[in-house]
Amino acid sequence: MEARKHAESDWLETRILIPKWNVVLSGLANTLVLVLASLAVWWIFFSNAGIFKLYTPLLGFSLVIWTLLIILWQTQLFDFWPLSRGFLSNSNPLIKGALLTTITIGLYLALIFGLLFWIIGQFGISYFNWHSLVQYGEFGQDVLSTRETTSWAFLSLSVPFFLISIFVMLGIGKDLFAPLAQPRMGLANFLLISTLSIPIFVLFFHPHIGSMFYPAQVYTAVPPWWQSLAMTNSAEYSLGILFCTVLGIFYAIHLWDGYPWTLVTRQPWRILFLVVGSIFLGLVIFYFQLSIMEHIWDEAYIGGQNENNFGWRYSHTVTMGNFIVVPAIILNFFFAPAFSGMPFWARGIIKTVLAIAAGLIFAWAYYQWGPVLLGVVPGVSHPSENAAAFLLLIINLLLIQDHFMDGWPGYRLSTK
Amino acid sequence: MKRRDFLKGVAATSAGVAVAAGVGSLPKQAFAKKKGEKEDFGEIKSLKVKCISETSWFDNATLGADIKAAGGINSNQYDVAYNTDNLGGYAALVEVEALDGKKTKYLLDTGWSNDWIDYVFEKDGIDSMLKTKEIDTLIISHDHIDHYFGLESTLKHQPDIRIFFPGTSMPKSFELLKGADFSATPGCPKNATPHTGELVVTKTDTLYKLQDGAAIVFFDAPATLQVRGENVMYFKIKDKGYVTVTGCCHPGILTLINHGRRNFKDGEKMYGCYGGLHISPFENWDPKMDDIITGLKQYKMEKIACNHCTGWIWAEKAANAGLPIVMGTDSNLSYKKVGTLARAKTSNVYIGNGDSVTF
Repeated sequence: MEARKHAESDWLETRILIPKWNVVLSGLANTLVLVLASLAVWWIFFSNAGIFKLYTPLLGFSLVIWTLLIILWQTQLFDFWPLSRGFLSNSNPLIKGALLTTITIGLYLALIFGLLFWIIGQFGISYFNWHSLVQYGEFGQDVLSTRETTSWAFLSLSVPFFLISIFVMLGIGKDLFAPLAQPRMGLANFLLISTLSIPIFVLFFHPHIGSMFYPAQVYTAVPPWWQSLAMTNSAEYSLGILFCTVLGIFYAIHLWDGYPWTLVTRQPWRILFLVVGSIFLGLVIFYFQLSIMEHIWDEAYIGGQNENNFGWRYSHTVTMGNFIVVPAIILNFFFAPAFSGMPFWARGIIKTVLAIAAGLIFAWAYYQWGPVLLGVVPGVSHPSENAAAFLLLIINLLLIQDHFMDGWPGYRLSTK
Repeated sequence: MKRRDFLKGVAATSAGVAVAAGVGSLPKQAFAKKKGEKEDFGEIKSLKVKCISETSWFDNATLGADIKAAGGINSNQYDVAYNTDNLGGYAALVEVEALDGKKTKYLLDTGWSNDWIDYVFEKDGIDSMLKTKEIDTLIISHDHIDHYFGLESTLKHQPDIRIFFPGTSMPKSFELLKGADFSATPGCPKNATPHTGELVVTKTDTLYKLQDGAAIVFFDAPATLQVRGENVMYFKIKDKGYVTVTGCCHPGILTLINHGRRNFKDGEKMYGCYGGLHISPFENWDPKMDDIITGLKQYKMEKIACNHCTGWIWAEKAANAGLPIVMGTDSNLSYKKVGTLARAKTSNVYIGNGDSVTF
């Protein structure tokens, strides 16, 4: 029986996950559970035909991106604190998954609806609270619109936090605050992430949000300064590039065993190499996809709608990138032992080809059957539909299944 | 021209090419039809559009609350319970003067609330025109609530009128044509007069010529409330250029302009437009709406007559930015119901109820 092993001392690196059956059967069992869980969670919480109808669409979209980020913080920054190693080693995966997911949701509610919505949105920045926008706004500031404006602000804020979090987790780790134990280590890195992310939000997204009102709020936010470069006033330009950078890092982690980011180990070169290299890779992913879209849909034009819109195309690079990230993570989490005997280069090539092929098939299937299976509206380019919301939900569930539940049901936990 | 046909396999173009491609402004027309292949559907002498009603609902916040309660803008339009006091509808009378002086009338859309549409039809004599078959054809731009749910108001006067109908319409919308009753849900339609005339179900890649100089093009564009597709009227006016007349313009005005540039003879000359432009129907704003002003300024149109789902704030911003917005009058204030915007005494950047524009 082959196993996934890690060599360092964080909980995820200490774990050894052993397939309960043969690798393919265990992987398929996990994939089946993932599919069923994704459909169930979507229909209960997100779908317009469901109970909670959170996919408005931006409210649900902002929710899944923030919970994903919080799961990464819980596991990578805080190393599952405050749960003890004994609890993590000995608990039933279902109980552990339920408890950690409850903590995730609790943190989400505290951070986004406690701090951002109720406190900052009421007493500081009105666009973080849709009721504040209704209260102070005039035309157009009714709750159907303001809920989307506020959700867009949540979503925008998550992007720099996501990027900087990944930079810190992979490029710095414990290097900067080495002697600290948890939760000090996590808190120190979290404060570093916040310190760097907030100015990036202000530079790349706040001008967009300031322009979401009539008249534009030019005394508190400059008009979008990237217009002549991006051919749009929309911050989807920044969103596309920054998130494609995140995707490039994810591809490296899940398809290429972290290569090339593992090449440089000494600081400060490690973090510099990661930042410069991943932004370069992100730009390649971003512009390569734009060139494909140009072949499919012809050139975009200023003020064009749907697939002819520059902003929509920038966002769509992230959506398509996520279609490939999902199978990449599934291959790494559920089927990794099947590739472990191969040479590094062969493993990387085969996993990459499989992930791209599966991602494209997944995209085709989503747009073909999504309206029936998920209740989403038909069409690739739609003003109120973005497949990335469902994809990020799946990634949430993948992390819950692997990080919180030790690969249940196909894997069982062992420790060194 | 089918633009997607140009993808015969995903080309692995370099990132450098993509960078170059991303910084164009006017479309390059690289994929346009060649000169000899472009559609030439003739010319007309003039075009007059009368706004029968552009107030599809009278208060944005009320409709917004109805849609929010149903689950948001992706809900099925037949599942939303609407506040019936808030409902109006969209309809326009399109009068074409041919080169020989002969005039032909078309009705674009048939509104929402039967009570409101019966009222405005009577006010403008549309009911009489239907009874005497003075109106040649009903063009349903799309099957959205406010453009189609008032079907009975037209068919009860002329059940055999020829109808152009989007092929992507929802199954219940097709049922309504045959006579159906969905009125158990507040604000949803009923039709006691089944359609008996010619039904032209439109699809993409076909030009439907109404007469010399007038045609319909169907665009398979997405819209809210699970609706797809829209019929757009194109006219070519002698010595002036092309004019589009739209219900909501869900494909986007720049898309319509570029369709003309790519596919019609002399298509680079876009003279004007009438109708909803679907930019800010709920008067909210997004920086992409500034892009539409920037984009439109490149085409040097001479008359932009907009209303309905355009968004008053967009029209006002566009006028301030120097676009040739045709101003309306206060005639809408004399109607039995007046919308929130008009009551707020906003500027007349809309062609309002009772106004006309001539191209």
